[in-house]
Amino acid sequence: METGGEEMSDPETADEAIGGRVRITIDGIESMVPPGTTILEAAQGCGIKIPTLCHHADVHPAGVCRMCLVEVEGQRAFQTACTFSVFQPVRVRTHTPRIRRARKHVLELLLSEHSGDCCSCSKNNNCELQALAAEFGIERRRFGQTMDVQCGKIDSGGYIIRDMNKCVLCRRCVRVCADLQTIGVLGPHGRGDETVIGTFRAGALIETSCIHCGQCVNRCPTGALRVRDDTERVWEAISDPRKHVVIQTAPAPRAAIGEEFGLPAGAALTFELNTALKLCGFDKVFDTNFSADLTIIEEATELLLRLYDALEGGKGGMPLPQFSSCSPGWIKYVERFYPEYLAHVSSAKSPQQMFGALMKTHYARLERVDPADMVTVSLMPCSAKKFECDRPEMRTGAFKDVDISLTTRELARMLKEAGIWLPGLRRSDFDAPFGTATGSGVVFGATGGVTESALRTIFELVIGSPADPDALAGKVSVIRGFDGIKYLEFSLPEEIGRLPALLTRNLDLPFSDWNWIRGAALKFAVYHGIGNAKKVMDDIKGGGRFSKCHFIEFMACPGGCLGGGGQPIPADNTVRARRAAAIYAEDKSYAVRKAHENPAILEIYEKIFKEGPGSEPAHALLHTHYTPRCSSNKP
Amino acid sequence: MMPDPEDAEVMKKIDGLVRRYGADRSSLLPVLRDIQSTCGSVSEEAVLSVAERFGIPPVAISGVVSFYRFLSEKPQGRFVIRLCKTISCDMAGKSLIASRLEAELGIPFGETTKDGQFSLEWTNCIGLCDRGPALLVNDRPFTRVTVEKVHDILEHYKSNANPGRAFEFDGTIHETFIGRLSFDRLKPDEALKEVLQRKKPEIIDEISRAGLRGRGGAGYPTAVKWSLTAVASSKEKYIVCNADEGEPGTYKDRILLSRYPDLVCEGMTVAAHALGARKGFIYLRAEYAHLKDRLAKTIEKRKRQNLLGESILGKPGFDFEIEIRMGAGAYICGEETALIESLEGGRGEPRNRPPFPVDGGFRGMPTCVNNVETFLWVLCIIARGSDWFRRAGAEKSPGYKIFSVSGDCERPGVYEFPMGVRVKDVLDHVGGTEAKAVQIGGASGSCIPEKEFDREISYEDVPTGGSVIVIGPQRGMASIACNVLEFFAEESCGQCTPCRIGTRKLLEGLKMMKSGKCSMDYWRELASLCDTMRLASKCGLGQSVPNVILSLMKHFKQELPELADQAYSHGNGG
Repeated sequence: METGGEEMSDPETADEAIGGRVRITIDGIESMVPPGTTILEAAQGCGIKIPTLCHHADVHPAGVCRMCLVEVEGQRAFQTACTFSVFQPVRVRTHTPRIRRARKHVLELLLSEHSGDCCSCSKNNNCELQALAAEFGIERRRFGQTMDVQCGKIDSGGYIIRDMNKCVLCRRCVRVCADLQTIGVLGPHGRGDETVIGTFRAGALIETSCIHCGQCVNRCPTGALRVRDDTERVWEAISDPRKHVVIQTAPAPRAAIGEEFGLPAGAALTFELNTALKLCGFDKVFDTNFSADLTIIEEATELLLRLYDALEGGKGGMPLPQFSSCSPGWIKYVERFYPEYLAHVSSAKSPQQMFGALMKTHYARLERVDPADMVTVSLMPCSAKKFECDRPEMRTGAFKDVDISLTTRELARMLKEAGIWLPGLRRSDFDAPFGTATGSGVVFGATGGVTESALRTIFELVIGSPADPDALAGKVSVIRGFDGIKYLEFSLPEEIGRLPALLTRNLDLPFSDWNWIRGAALKFAVYHGIGNAKKVMDDIKGGGRFSKCHFIEFMACPGGCLGGGGQPIPADNTVRARRAAAIYAEDKSYAVRKAHENPAILEIYEKIFKEGPGSEPAHALLHTHYTPRCSSNKP
Repeated sequence: MMPDPEDAEVMKKIDGLVRRYGADRSSLLPVLRDIQSTCGSVSEEAVLSVAERFGIPPVAISGVVSFYRFLSEKPQGRFVIRLCKTISCDMAGKSLIASRLEAELGIPFGETTKDGQFSLEWTNCIGLCDRGPALLVNDRPFTRVTVEKVHDILEHYKSNANPGRAFEFDGTIHETFIGRLSFDRLKPDEALKEVLQRKKPEIIDEISRAGLRGRGGAGYPTAVKWSLTAVASSKEKYIVCNADEGEPGTYKDRILLSRYPDLVCEGMTVAAHALGARKGFIYLRAEYAHLKDRLAKTIEKRKRQNLLGESILGKPGFDFEIEIRMGAGAYICGEETALIESLEGGRGEPRNRPPFPVDGGFRGMPTCVNNVETFLWVLCIIARGSDWFRRAGAEKSPGYKIFSVSGDCERPGVYEFPMGVRVKDVLDHVGGTEAKAVQIGGASGSCIPEKEFDREISYEDVPTGGSVIVIGPQRGMASIACNVLEFFAEESCGQCTPCRIGTRKLLEGLKMMKSGKCSMDYWRELASLCDTMRLASKCGLGQSVPNVILSLMKHFKQELPELADQAYSHGNGG
């Protein structure tokens, strides 16, 4: 190779930064930016939009697509704005004729290899490649077009479908899987013009260590990656008069579905959605918050049992820290990569599955419906929930607890197809008998929510008198927000109450008062994103500080459920923060904000699980077990 | 299920390798290369097992295996025959050899004989351009292969006999008007002893005064690179000798490495002293595995002589060791950031710059990567002074340069010329006066037509890493351009859009053009795409792909068929 395009900086001019800021002049607009700022960031700061394709704010820049080319004075070749960090004063031009032509060439080259039909694509109207083609006024495929869609390039057997005919090799999925989630089931294979993004052995994704988190799907700029579409199955059920079709909606999709209808992020449409779902044809609409509360009661009871076991030297076998179990991606991850820690995972089913189990049993009896004629649907922010509801462990008797799990995006499409314009609808309430929602279930949708919710309940159960959730939130504020690793030490008070009636139902409880936990300093940790989960698991393995924790909340997706693989695209930290704000606002709007005060929950323990939380009947329906996934031969 | 006994053997082998090299990511390539050479492939089971031991996802390992041509996921024969198909060997008649090989072995290229003895593969330039057609059997080179010789070579391997001295080879070094190579006049370790007497900045100043520019092709001022590495505050720094000579037509580093292994090590040691590095790598291309033993022995000998190791030449605190790292068949690894990726055990994909290697190279530490030849000139400059060096060459290209000459000339071989030498003078020396064109700088260089033979070879005019391919009047320029583009399409790392797809579009366009199916419009589109590729590609490879097409368009229009009318292929690029 003859020449590289870049010039290294001369050491003598390298430190011409003034007051810790560097001057950057973009198209004549001067601004001062902190050293290390990329040209792309600096341009955004002064209102110049540089087109990008392989760049995504959630992963490190790759500089491979070459859309964001700019001219940097003193550099012979064009530079990528997404990777070029500014450490000394630079002058940049972003739209000279040569740059516009180069970008157009790049786009046309990508289009020449991108086969498939926009009108039949899952990303139609939300495709970054399509949007760029529109912005650049592409009128013809200058460099031809690969017309033949090759079936061999489509992997459609799993929850995540890959159509490599549409892949533009931006490698976002690779970076998401390897860097953000530290799993790495996708990677470049081959080289030169034969490079493809693939799995090991070019096998089906479902055969790999993929945890179905769908984070790659959320960041794919084209329709090369999508989540399996189950909407037809739902339409079929709805249109079958013999079927009783119920749906539960989780809080995270409700805080995000508005984005699919053009609303800004952060508009919660919980009650409009109830109306929409009825219009759509669902027989009943329930709130997953109910079973989230149930999860809290069961999970908190389990934690208390584990704590007692540890503090008082009980019969053992229930190690600490207890790991949360709501995130099916996390569950598959721990089963696959840390199977020796499965005893730490709470046996409580996730809210989705608890709800489903109750539907096909308790609710079916109540409504006098044959569970065989019931179809239980869930609206989830998640692609892995589809995997979860298919798990063989998640059946009660002959029936799947949850038949079909829909993502936020799927439901939005159903509503649009049916002409139901969600934002304009009247608000209506959830259906009885699970109608009453609480704030404790809502916060499940954000990272830290499970922990906060569990704390609200444990705290009150122990002190025996009501506590203000906002005051508590103030004390535990460290677990809100998007820090990857959050750690909380929380001391229970010395003043304790009596063992509450809810718990005394369970005659098998090994303790009959709270003396043993009086003043205990509880340690909690909260992680979101598998990259962070890996850090904590390795720390635990090495006997680090997280092995001393009592409870650890794990969510597979960055931001928790609100950043799930089934949520509206695109999303970044700003969007996720708005969704979180909507969730916390909804929490505040409820009269009841603690799981153990939820009257529907109390009624369930009154009528169904009379032996109380953690009892055998509760276990039979509301708990599950896990499957170690052998590491050998599992790519 | 019990593991297959053969698998168990492989696993044991892998455990041994991991113990030997360590499970650090940067040991990945050595481990994979050893698996390949002992097992004949890096099988899926081997990938899984390596993945587990290194803690790397299997897809990342198979990504590495599939990147390098000397690693193979498919089982290969005991003897892998790699026939060079790049320009010089193509001109020397590789096609005849290819048919003969296929006929003798009864298999087409890309296949392995049923008895598992021979695999037949095409390869890109193996640096034997002066003695084409050339091939490798495993590590061993065979040159000036004739149809008759094919049979002999195969017979020797079939009968398990050592091919013996009959096929020994060496490069020819020719005298020029300045005599033999300057390096012959260097006294062993004179320069190293000299620099130990001088202050470190003086060494870099001397090189700076000499105006030495990197001899790999890019021509970056060596002194600037060195001083940037020297001022970097890190305690851990690396010196890398770039012996990944892959530019078609370039083989001078092969000669230098085999003739002057001591000088190469000495040059690196001088750099280590000047820059404060304690560790150096020689990144030797897989195609030059036949040079490895000699280099390794040299390193061992120098350790014994206290010219490497701790307190070199008795100077306390001057510690330096050199490790040979083998490439695995990827031209792009000659690009310094790709080389570093490869050293770290990755696919050889060029990195984004900045940061430059001098700031954050191997393992993020300051790393100075220099061409083999550059290290030798450093020694000459120190021994004979910068003035001596400056006296030769052109204003912005001082000094001498080693050239690798191949193609249609009477005396192919290695020559030393002062920079700024005219193309015509080179041709006179090598006996290539009949030439209608000269490809200078290899595949990524430029093609000079006869009417421009007065031009100078220098950074001011026609830059080169040393490759001179003489093209005789009988050659078709479009065919040569096709060969070059095929080379790039295979050797592109495949990361960035302009290079990955653009190269293929140029190749397809050229083929359409050759068969008279390209419209004038589309040909113009391609010309404009060339401009984009030069400016928009991520590294020097993609930026230089269009050179060959641009030369063709500019100088050899008359060799292209009449352009088809517009209707024929408007917008039909694929």
